[in-house]
Amino acid sequence: MAKGVLGNDPFKRGAASRPTEASTPGGEEKAAAAETVTKKQPGNGGMAAAKAGGKAASAKPRKHEARKTPAKAKGGKAAGGRKGAPAQRAKATAHAQPPHATRDAAHGPGDAALPLREPAASTLDTPAPGPVNDAGALTAKQRDVDHALAEALAADVAEATATAAVDAALGARPGPDAELERLMAAELATELAEAAVEEALEQGSPAQPQEQEQELAAAVAAQVADSAARAAMDEGRAPPAPPEAPAVTRWEQETSVRVVVTQEADTSAVEPEVELPDATRDEFPPGRRGPLSLVPPPAASAGESARESFAPEFGRGEPEGVRPLAERAVAALSLARDIAGQALASESLARAMLAMGGLKDMVRASLGTGGGANLDAYGKDPSLVERLEPVLEFLYSQYWRVSVQGVDHVPPGAAILVANHSGALPYDGLVMSMALTRERPDLREPRWLVEDQVFHAPMVGTLFNRLGAVRACPENALRLLDEHRPLVVFPEGYQALSKPFGERYRLKRFGRGGFVKLALRTGAPIVPVAIVGAEETSPLLGRIPASFLGLPFVPLTPLGPLPLPAKWSIRFGEPIGVEDLAPEAADDLGEVQRLTERTREAIQSMLQSLLRERRSVFAG
Amino acid sequence: MDVSRPGKGRLRIAVTGASGDYGRLLLSRLDQDPDVESILVLDVTRPEGDKVEFHRVDLTRYDAESELTDALTERLVDALYHLAFLFGPIRNGSLAHELEVIGTMNVLTAAGRSRLPRLVVPSMTAVYGARGNNPALLREDSALQGCPHSRFVTDKVEVEGQVRAFRERHPDMRVLVLRFAPVLGPSVDNPATRFLKNPVVPTLMGFDPLWQGLHEDDAARALHLALRADASGEFNIVGHGVMPISGLIQQAGARPLPLPGPLFRAGLHTLDAVGAGTLPVALLDYIHYSWVADGERAESVLGFIPLHHVRDAAAALKRS
Repeated sequence: MAKGVLGNDPFKRGAASRPTEASTPGGEEKAAAAETVTKKQPGNGGMAAAKAGGKAASAKPRKHEARKTPAKAKGGKAAGGRKGAPAQRAKATAHAQPPHATRDAAHGPGDAALPLREPAASTLDTPAPGPVNDAGALTAKQRDVDHALAEALAADVAEATATAAVDAALGARPGPDAELERLMAAELATELAEAAVEEALEQGSPAQPQEQEQELAAAVAAQVADSAARAAMDEGRAPPAPPEAPAVTRWEQETSVRVVVTQEADTSAVEPEVELPDATRDEFPPGRRGPLSLVPPPAASAGESARESFAPEFGRGEPEGVRPLAERAVAALSLARDIAGQALASESLARAMLAMGGLKDMVRASLGTGGGANLDAYGKDPSLVERLEPVLEFLYSQYWRVSVQGVDHVPPGAAILVANHSGALPYDGLVMSMALTRERPDLREPRWLVEDQVFHAPMVGTLFNRLGAVRACPENALRLLDEHRPLVVFPEGYQALSKPFGERYRLKRFGRGGFVKLALRTGAPIVPVAIVGAEETSPLLGRIPASFLGLPFVPLTPLGPLPLPAKWSIRFGEPIGVEDLAPEAADDLGEVQRLTERTREAIQSMLQSLLRERRSVFAG
Repeated sequence: MDVSRPGKGRLRIAVTGASGDYGRLLLSRLDQDPDVESILVLDVTRPEGDKVEFHRVDLTRYDAESELTDALTERLVDALYHLAFLFGPIRNGSLAHELEVIGTMNVLTAAGRSRLPRLVVPSMTAVYGARGNNPALLREDSALQGCPHSRFVTDKVEVEGQVRAFRERHPDMRVLVLRFAPVLGPSVDNPATRFLKNPVVPTLMGFDPLWQGLHEDDAARALHLALRADASGEFNIVGHGVMPISGLIQQAGARPLPLPGPLFRAGLHTLDAVGAGTLPVALLDYIHYSWVADGERAESVLGFIPLHHVRDAAAALKRS
């Protein structure tokens, strides 16, 4: 930045440093000022420049070059016509160049590459001096017109730059990464366009006041000289890349990329200095005006477009870049995207991702932050069940390998499915409802009743409620049966969950026969169901007292809340009809007791036969 | 005694507590009802309205009953809306008690003396209490367990008892009690809206009870329907659907913050004891257990079908 400060004002500070650096060109003929500059460039830039000059001549057909050439000619004439000031200006620009050339090895050529972009900047200037040269004086109106012209040009340039950058980036990088590339290119293009517009404004407005300050003609001449010098410089520097040896070319490209990066740095870091009049004009033009040269590239030479296409790539990969973090992040992102894309291609991983999402929702629901707007009056959240489907499906068919027998015994309409409750964690209701949904899609959606201790347990109760559990009470049961649903009940209740593992598959007392009363009142048949496997899924090893949680105890199970992969078997028995009994029989305790016992025995015998048939707890 | 019988002419209506939320909601509807001839407002402040006849009565004064009786017998009215209730607990518990319980007693006595044909009293579903042993849907005949920690809810339960006794004493009168689910909307202010309007709403970790909500428009409609309904008794006035409290909070544009139960409880009690209580302690029950009322009877008997889902009601809260 020191350079920027040093060469800020071409008329003041620039002049001070002139004698030392620009003495040789200063002594030369004014009319040949432009050429001097061109030659000086080679001298400083080294062997590359000579070839570069030739190359520039050959590259002239390019649009901007063509536009520049007359400007240069005019500049030459103007410089010849006016003395003193033009000479100074020419010298100033001439002096402005050496610093670039004398930068470190990487930077010099970098600048040399960048001037390629200069012509556009000079095209901005040329329209302004053009008419002025003829008139010999610059009126306010003309200035306005010129300014407007410059601004319009700047807009054009910005637009063209953006499109060119995007085109280049996209054209060079087809394929799956196109989207990311488009993003990159867009970002780059925006930056370049911003720089271009800024450039144009600086060029237009701050320059004009100075002209007012200075002698008009001198300023005009200076500008002309400036543009001419820059055009020449451009010609001198522009083409070095292609004609050189391949190795040099690569080096060139690399450096150009590096300059792109530094240029970005400049735009961000130099910003405050830009406020200084012409701060960037002498010192930074190559870097700052760089983007403008992107205008021509549409028709540009291969070297330039290649450089352009390289720029984003290098910019991304450049570790010493100005924004290494951001660029690294982008690179990492694209890599991650690739990996993720390939991974998602495999279906199992996709399922795993879905399952993870479902589990996340499950945790949120159990914590009490799940939300949900489509719950039914009982609290079931169908959308959560849907999202958990991958998990449930895995548990049902792969982890527990649930086998279902006699599911045809379940009659359509209201039915009370009475099952043995088992295991320290009440997965059985969930599995029962899943079995019914899968095996008997003709039935209405089943619900299961859970005892208060589970229903009001923090997290567990909330989660089960969202999955379809309903608190066990006569009102809820009656309502569910009224809706002609199969209703799963576990008459053993909580005592079945708290029995030690040694008492597995031994039925406890069947409550007070509430399900029988329910059946008698509603006429719904009782279907005994035996479930084997749930006891081994979460065997109760011990009880941790947890009254502070509002629970009688927290069960101690091998894997905590996770189940073991025991194989499940569910057998549905013959329905026990109650049609021949009047609803008043519900008040007959003897009748209720008899039916309760009958159901209990049916379940116990099915359990025994299932256990006899089972050869292995985990293999089935 | 049926106020809707033909040939009777236009309706004259008396309203207590017309400046409250329910009063405002109702009065705007009555004003637009062409069958309503006049609205006798028995209140301490005069509300806006073309049909309003203002008669100043302070229900907390000892002579309120005779004032009311005079006013009601002087102009025979077809219906009395007793809407002079608080919409949330206030710190002055005894004043609340005077207004709600004693005020209702005065109103009921005056209504009995002046042989009113119709009395409408609002209540709320919170009187059922949020308990673990609640069924999934509470019908009107469920026990009113209330909330022992909350004088506000206890007063409401007491008022319901008074009104029920009054209805049994006057079987010829139409006495309607409308138990409103938490009324949500841009223009109402009650504990539920204050609770949901916080940017971050504390909830009990691991619990996500089901709530109902009633859009204020639906509440106004239900009140208006009670003017002509050929029915008597209690009605649950609830919006469509239920939502977990977390969903309601999210719909209202806030974020739920699950706090461990004991911590939350202790914090709330401390705040309440200090006097900085922003949330009523009684709310703890209602964010712990579900209290979902069944609106079936209002639909079949009263003809009230809510137009808004609870999520719309909550979203309306966000827009306000």
